[in-house]
This record gives sequence, C-alpha cells and structure tokens, in this order.
Amino acid sequence: MRQWNTRKALREERIAAGGVFANAKAIDPKHLVDFLEAVLRPGDRVCIEGDNQKQADVLARGLADMDPARIHDLHMVQSGVVLPEHLDIFDSGIAKRLDFSYSGPQSARIARMLFGGKIELGAIHTYLELFARYFVDLTPQVALIAAVSADRHGNLYTGPNTEDTPTVVEATSFGSGLVIAQVGEIVDTLPRVDIPGDQVHFVLDAGRPFYVEPLFTRDPAAMTETQILTAMMAIKGLYEPYGVRRLNHGIGFNTAAIELLLPTYGEKLGLKGKICTHWALNPHPTLIPAIEAGWVEQVHCFGSEVGMEDYLAARPDIFFTGPDGSLRSNRAFSQTAGLYACDMFIGSTLQIDLSGHSSTITANRIAGFGGAPNMGSDARGRRHPSAPWLQAGAEADPDTPAPLRRGRKLVVQIGETFGEGNAPLFVEKLSALELAEKLDLDLAPVMVYADDTTHIVTEEGIANLLLCRNADEREQAIRGVAGFTEIGRGRDKTMLERLRARKIIQRPEDLGIDPLDANRNMLAARSIKDLMLASGGLYRPPSRFRNW
Amino acid sequence: MSNTRQSWYEAGARERIAALVDPASFAEFIGPERREISPHLSIFDLPTQFDDGIVVGCGAIGGTPVFVAAQEGRFMGGAVGEVHGAKLTGLLRAAKAVARDVVIAFDTGGVRLQEANAGEIAIAEIMRGVVEARMAGVRVVGLIGGRAGCYGGGGLIAGCCSTLIVSEQGRISVTGPEVIETNKGVEEFDSRDRSFVWRTMGGKHRTLIGGADVFVEDDTMAFRDATRAALARAPKLDGNTLAAEQARLERRITRFGEASDATDIWQLLGIDDPWAIPDMPATGFATLADTYRERADDAR
Repeated sequence: MRQWNTRKALREERIAAGGVFANAKAIDPKHLVDFLEAVLRPGDRVCIEGDNQKQADVLARGLADMDPARIHDLHMVQSGVVLPEHLDIFDSGIAKRLDFSYSGPQSARIARMLFGGKIELGAIHTYLELFARYFVDLTPQVALIAAVSADRHGNLYTGPNTEDTPTVVEATSFGSGLVIAQVGEIVDTLPRVDIPGDQVHFVLDAGRPFYVEPLFTRDPAAMTETQILTAMMAIKGLYEPYGVRRLNHGIGFNTAAIELLLPTYGEKLGLKGKICTHWALNPHPTLIPAIEAGWVEQVHCFGSEVGMEDYLAARPDIFFTGPDGSLRSNRAFSQTAGLYACDMFIGSTLQIDLSGHSSTITANRIAGFGGAPNMGSDARGRRHPSAPWLQAGAEADPDTPAPLRRGRKLVVQIGETFGEGNAPLFVEKLSALELAEKLDLDLAPVMVYADDTTHIVTEEGIANLLLCRNADEREQAIRGVAGFTEIGRGRDKTMLERLRARKIIQRPEDLGIDPLDANRNMLAARSIKDLMLASGGLYRPPSRFRNW
Repeated sequence: MSNTRQSWYEAGARERIAALVDPASFAEFIGPERREISPHLSIFDLPTQFDDGIVVGCGAIGGTPVFVAAQEGRFMGGAVGEVHGAKLTGLLRAAKAVARDVVIAFDTGGVRLQEANAGEIAIAEIMRGVVEARMAGVRVVGLIGGRAGCYGGGGLIAGCCSTLIVSEQGRISVTGPEVIETNKGVEEFDSRDRSFVWRTMGGKHRTLIGGADVFVEDDTMAFRDATRAALARAPKLDGNTLAAEQARLERRITRFGEASDATDIWQLLGIDDPWAIPDMPATGFATLADTYRERADDAR
C-alpha cells in the first residue's frame, strides 16, 4: 500500500527535530545554526526570501554558517540573489543548484561563479514565472521568510513590505513544506495579520528589522535636461495620443522625470484625468507631486519604499492599506496586474539591438530579470479591451477585421542615445548574446523581446515600431532615433524621410516640442527635499538621500 | 504648480554671476576667448577648460561697482589650479589697488591634485590677497551654496572673508567627508550618511556656530539680496577683531568640545528640538538661528 502522506510525515520529523532548539514555535536565537542543521536535509529544495527590496538577512546568515559536512547540495529557489551569503553557500558547498529571478548587486560574482561551475543553474526567471513554478515543479520543502513582527501563535505582520511572503508561504505551507520566519520582534497583539500562524512553523526573534533596500528612490537633483526632453516627448508623443491611463513605470531617471512632469508639463497640456490615473507601481517618491496635485486615482504596489510608509498610510484612497492603516504590497498580484491590467510599460534599458531586442546585461554581469519582462510584454491571454490597447493593435495590424484583432500593450523603451560612461544605447550585438555563448545558455537573457517592443524614445525622436511593415523599416526606424551612435550613423536618410512622413519616426519638432524648453525648472520637484515638502513632511527620505 | 525660482545650487558659475549683478553690467577679465588653460592637465590626459573653471570680472550690484569671481563646480569639482588661482589672486590685488569690494561665489573641493604645488601656493596667495584687501578697507563677501561645497583651501579662503552667505545646501569645511573617513575610519565619520555630513558641515550648522554669517534660501535672488546687504556693512578688520574672534573660538571649544554630534551643540545653544532643525524651511530656520546662534566677529 502506498503511503499518501510522506511529505507531511517528513514535515513532522523536521518540526520535531527543530523543536529541540525552540520553545514551542520560538527558535532559540543562540542556536539558530543548530536549529537549521536539524530541520534541513541534504539536497532539500529551499526558498530564502529576498527580492530587490526586502531580505531575510538573519536567516541567510544562519544558512551560511551551517556545516557543509552536514547540510549540502541544497537546491535554492529564490527571487533574489542579493546578499553575499546567498552566494557564500554555493562557495562552501551547502548549496548546489539555483533557480532565481534577480541578482542586481551580486551580478558580477554570480556570473563568475556560474562560469567557474560553482553553481548548477536551473534557470533565470521573471518573478511571476518563478512564483508559478513554486506551485508546479519547484515547490520549496523549506522556506525562510521575513516579517516585521509575530505573536505567540506565529501569526505574522509583514507590514508595508509584504512583497513575496504570501506567495512563498502559500506554496510551501500548503505543499507540506516547513515555514520559518525571522521577525523584528515578538508582540502580544499584531497591527494586522498578514500570514496566519497555522501556516508558520517556527519564528526567530532577530531583534532587529529585516533589511530593506531603497531601490526606487530617484533623486530629482540628478535629472538631466536630456532626460527631461525624453520625458516631454513620451508624454506628448505617447501618453497623450494613446490616452494611457493604466500603466507601469520602470525604475530609471527617464520615467521618474515623466512622473515629475505630470503636474507641470502634463497640466499645461490639459492631460489631468486623461492619463496616468491607475498604476501598478512601487511607491516612487517622485510620484508624490502628481498624487498631491490630484493626478493619481489608484496605485497597487509590488513592495514598499523606505521612507514612504507614513505618506502611504496617510493616502489610503490611493494605496492599498490594511486595517492597521499601513500599506499592503504583494509582488505576485502586482506583477499580474502589470501583465494583464496595464496598457503601457515604459522603462529604461542599457542596450537595444537593430531588431529591437533590449537587455540590461553588460559583459560579465548577470543581473537577472526581476519583473520587467512581465511588465514589458504583451499578454497573449488578455481579452478585455481598452482604447490604448485597441489603438496599438490597429496600428500593428490594420488589415484584420477589428473583432478578431488582438490589441497590443504599449511596451516602450526610453533612454539617451549615449548612457552612463558614454556607452551607446544602440548596439549591433547584445552583450547578452555573448554571455549566453560564454555560459552555454539555451536562451540569451533578453529583458524585452523585439516583438513585444512597440516604441523607442530617445532625445532624437520616437520610433513607432507598430507601424513598421517589414524588418528593413524596423531597422531604419531604430537607426533613426539612435543619434550619433555607430548604429545611428548607419542610417538611410531617404528612407528615414519616408518613415518620418508616415510618423514612424517623430522628431521633437514634429511633436511641437522645442528641446530648449526642456529645463529643470519644469520638474515639479528638483530635490529630495522638495519631495519631502510636497508630501507635507510625511515622506521621510533615508539618510543617504538627504543633503540637509 | 510652478517652479520658477532659480536654484543657486543648480546654477553654473556664469548663471550665478548673471543673477548677482545688474543686467548688462558684467565685463569678464581673461575670458574664455583668451584660452588661458591649465598648463598641467594635458600631461595627465585630462580635459581643460578655456576659463580654467573660474569666471572673474567687474560688474555692479544695485548700481555699486564690484569685482566678482565665481568658481565652476562642474569642472573638476571647482578645484583650484595655477591659472584658476592666479585669476582670483589678481582680482583681489586689483580690488585693493582700486578700493573696490569683491564678491566670491565659492564652489570648490579645494586644490587640484594634478597641480598640487601650484594650487597650494595659489591658496596662500589668495588668502593673503583677501586679508590685504580687507586691511585696506575692501569688503570680501563669500557666497556658498554650490554642489561642490567649499572645501580644502576654499574653506580656508572663506574663513578670511568679511561676510559669508550660505544656503542649506552649502557645505564649508577644510577636510572633506571621504578624506576623514579614509583616514579615521567609518566609525569616526560615515561619509555616505549624507544627513550626518550636512549636519556637520552644512549651511545650517555653520550658521548656528558662527562659521557663516547670513543664511538664505537656495535661490539666486536671495543670494543677490543678501550680497547687497553685506556690501552695505561697515568693513572692519584690525587687531581687535582678530583678538575678539580668537577669544570666541576658545570659548567655543570649552562650550562644545565634548559634543559628539552637531545636534548636541544645537541643544547646548538652547534649541529645544535640535532634531527638527534639518527639516526646517529656510525662513523659519533663519528666525530661529537669529535667536540662538553664535556670532563671528567679522572673522572666523
């Protein structure tokens, strides 16, 4: 007779073994490493919580301190490879196989370790893909998660930075795995229950809050006039004609400039209420002036942002908040929202090739994907219409009868023709391809595929790829906004004039924009302090962003 | 929502001069068309600038003729090299010779490392120039509120001025945050803790301890108005001034020597909630500072 409850039985064994180093659910902090060695088995599939923002940092330290003779060959399934400990465990042999999504700060080291064979790579995913696999073929046997606080029963308060926690716990706990949480403190009564205690098996009082990176703070003081120009072009050349109300913005300065131009330039164009009303977006401090000026109706967040907590709690009409008043973020739901319920994604990138593939990979660095490919892709499963989606679909495919024609999500890449360190934005061959060859990967790590990209905005103009009818037109449209890069200088001038007549390429003057008008006085806030003042003092910028 | 105030912090050297002086009154000395570039930078394969990062000339403020100098913080952090220094030295000597007041818009990290000896000598010459001009009855007004702050030799020159006008963004010190951290360790000085850096070297703190005299909003017009007022003050520098200032600095060490953070000093000055100081708007702060601050004796 087959046993049908081996997974649950194994979990009971782990709970019993771990109980030796715990008082009921409370792990003895002095014996964290002993505890982890007791509950883990060699070869376990383990999720350590951490993404581009929050980190279960104390548990990560504990994992790294284990004895590799006892616990080894773990298969790590995790959103972010961000802390040094995340890779230390591969160096020491505690872990062997890796499936992940994002590796920003560790991008150089992870590339070296992959190349050196220290890591057996499963795949690099988007957040949403990895979450999906937690429920299909990568269900964690043990999850190490992070919360703000717990009560005696193991109920968790994850606070504004809830992010991945509900998804990880759902897959692990209901998949008969073990859930271990690090918390900043144990309290009698939680502000709200984000994770019910019966899904949590052990709790570690770390004695301090988990680490959070302020990743989405862009200092307006660092915004250039070129970025302001590209932002003006995006508003006038894309947001206005398509009437984009539901959208996601990337993390860069170009899109932050758009946020700061809404209450000034956008107001002047009479666009309030007509664009940018509903967002799937982290709480960008640069959105504060637009929110305060009444532009924004609703924002759902993947995570929170350091210093924004009080502001978010004071604007519950705009943000999703709990009974305690503070923000509730949820990465899985917000990614789904970005994929299915937004009509536009616009973001910066590091390289664009001649077909329109783009990538943030540079030589010898693997930064992973995070969420951008989900935001920056056309959802083939989408069925509900909206004006921008239908208009983009009609531009791409004018011949199919409207009722059978798919709409298109607007997927916009925005940037300056020469980026940081004067590196050209446009390249003959993506560094991602070289990396794939070097590491013998099946797929080059492309952030946004050419067939998803609908527009490219640079200071030289907007290329509308939806209107291109063949590969030649597409290539010339890209060359036509590539400025003085090698790619840009390889343009066919007569063809470009034809493309311009068909509005496949639009120059600033075609949009009625004088580049000399693009100056910093147009920004609704010109410094972090301006943002703080715009929030009525509710936004508390982290020390590293203050110059006062 | 409009945002039309011109930020001093964001402005370049020429924009600052244009905002300071009466329209069409400025005439530049040794302008970029003369191409007096640094003789040293090309050895290091570094870019040069035709004005070597400083604009000097004469103009009028409210009808009163003045000499004006403005450092360009965006060229090598406003650092002082041989030509840069010589232009300022010359201006100060001319000021003494023709008895005309000088306005210096500082924006500098100190001496240019690539021409260190020439730069150090220039700093000494400029300091002498300031003091000799002041002894002859000339006012030398320093304005500090640029991106590079006023560091190294710039901080020493600023200390010699008749009046220092500073905004919140302006930082004044000799040794910069990164250098202190490198030499003394991050426990002593965390240069990446920006609010700590500003608390220790920024315009508000310098105003409160008498390291600067006038606190203004980050606005070119506010700098201009404060400059006009400073040019109307009686010029004064003699042995009594220096003796009084020396006595004040000794008192300052006794009073604040044990304080480990600027907020401790602000508390000792009698400010109830020192942690509220950094977030205070300029006008509110200026009023509060007037009540509690230490005052320099035309020297610092």
